[in-house]
Amino acid sequence: MAAIINEKILGNLEELARLKLKAEEKEKMLKDLEKILEHFGELKELDTKGILPMVGGTFSKNVFREDKIDKNHLSRESAVKQFPETQGGFLKVPPVFE
Amino acid sequence: MDLNDLTIRKFHKGLLNKEFSALEITQAFFGRIEIADKEIGAYLSLSREEAVRQAEKIDIAVSQNKNISVLAGVPLAVKDNILIEGKRVTAASKILESYVASYDATVIKKLKQAEAVFLGKTNLDEFAMGASTENSAFQVTRNPYDKERVPGGSSGGSAAAVASVMALAALGSDTNGSIRQPSSFCGTVGLKPTYGAVSRHGLIALGSSLDQIGPIAKTVEDAAIVFEAISGRDELDSTSVDSSFNFYEPSLEEIRKLKIGLPKEYFLPGIDTVVEKGVQEAIGNFKNLKIEFKEVTLPHTKYAISCYYIILPAEASANLARYDGIRYARLANVPQDSELRKVYFRNKDMGFGPEPKRRLILGAFVLSAGYYDAYYTKAQKVRKLISEDFDRVFEEVDVILTPTTPTRAFKFGEKTDDPLAMYLADVFTSPASLSGLPAISIPVKKYPLGGGELPIGFQLIGRSFREADILGLGQLYEKINR
Repeated sequence: MAAIINEKILGNLEELARLKLKAEEKEKMLKDLEKILEHFGELKELDTKGILPMVGGTFSKNVFREDKIDKNHLSRESAVKQFPETQGGFLKVPPVFE
Repeated sequence: MDLNDLTIRKFHKGLLNKEFSALEITQAFFGRIEIADKEIGAYLSLSREEAVRQAEKIDIAVSQNKNISVLAGVPLAVKDNILIEGKRVTAASKILESYVASYDATVIKKLKQAEAVFLGKTNLDEFAMGASTENSAFQVTRNPYDKERVPGGSSGGSAAAVASVMALAALGSDTNGSIRQPSSFCGTVGLKPTYGAVSRHGLIALGSSLDQIGPIAKTVEDAAIVFEAISGRDELDSTSVDSSFNFYEPSLEEIRKLKIGLPKEYFLPGIDTVVEKGVQEAIGNFKNLKIEFKEVTLPHTKYAISCYYIILPAEASANLARYDGIRYARLANVPQDSELRKVYFRNKDMGFGPEPKRRLILGAFVLSAGYYDAYYTKAQKVRKLISEDFDRVFEEVDVILTPTTPTRAFKFGEKTDDPLAMYLADVFTSPASLSGLPAISIPVKKYPLGGGELPIGFQLIGRSFREADILGLGQLYEKINR
């Protein structure tokens, strides 16, 4: 039976997850995932035609609030204080554009 | 006054009767932590100064005969994925090792209003991913009943702290059993509220359609008291609902009318025989009260694990994308780089442990083009089937009783090589999580520390927002089991 996941697919997933696995990690990952994905195959036994996907929670209800700024929640100072590196009251990050 | 005997109720009475001061008890707990935590490793950080200050405030109020809440001065442990402003919060991960919370979680705000005392933050599986606390990036937590065994997870630190008298009660979080399973392993009571009953604002998100914060305590009554204090609609969590839970003492007459269902899928061979015996003992105790039992069926139970381990990694991969080593905390030994891509890859490589990595890859897989429908959408449909099973059963009975876990606490390393085996152990706690239902784990009996017996818990599952039913039955069970 063909493997569900192979090195090429794993490479694509690493890119999506921004992870670069080492060789031994890759081997273990392929082994573990193959076992897990094989187990998931049992879901094919279930007929889910016409069943609406459940997105979770208890019931769907729109929750609205006034479009006003809440000054009581998180002050700018509290938020900025925790940034690891700041400049002029902003979070300092590596360059985003080339 | 023996810390072992203390409950929230007894503590409150003792305070009001001036049998002891809040400061005395807080100091006593820190004394206990100093001795016991070296071996158990429940706490990642302590906040002695603040706790002492808070306790002193309560003592002044008591001396002035002011009204104080039932939780005033109560020493609590808090799982280290719940934010307390100004205190370190790590989710037991290197990627947040130096992060300090910039705000209080809503549950913390509420407990501060009730004037509870926070002793410190407890250990967990990294980002709450795990069922043994072995996945913590920082330290091992040992089961107080047998130091060679795990306390369970992911709220292992909180459960171990309560079980070993290093806190009077604790907060944990439960996504697939992370409050109930460690409670079962450590002989404590653990409640996962209905999804939406408790605000998730300030809880480091794992699976946003599943996560709930809940109490871990010595007694069901204590759990009910904490649940009442932390529950309620929160503007800052639009999935939270006002369930208007009011703590009350259940009368035998009211509770006896509740019908309990025993789902046959939870009593199949494969469960530890000792666990099976323990749960039958609990059933026997209820039957002695002439409570009616009925055999029911939840046919999609076995599919819960596949369903969960598709949905959760998908949600987790979205929730953990924000941890880039840039905005919350920097990793100490990651070299700087001007190339953003390199920064992401390096920080995530050094910051995340093996279990988060596994789930991030799995999450990316089930959400990626070509696989999304076969896995993620399919799992969401199966989730509906599992939820509908409960809807049907709750037309026949009011509460469902099951074992909490198929085994008692296992040994360190027993399941670490086989992630699938670890996942499959969640089988009894998973369906209630997927369906958003309230569920509590209650110890079958009192297990004395050092008594040589490993604890067993049974689970009660209730209808949405019917915590009163499962807490009521639980309180009754405690009364008769005294």
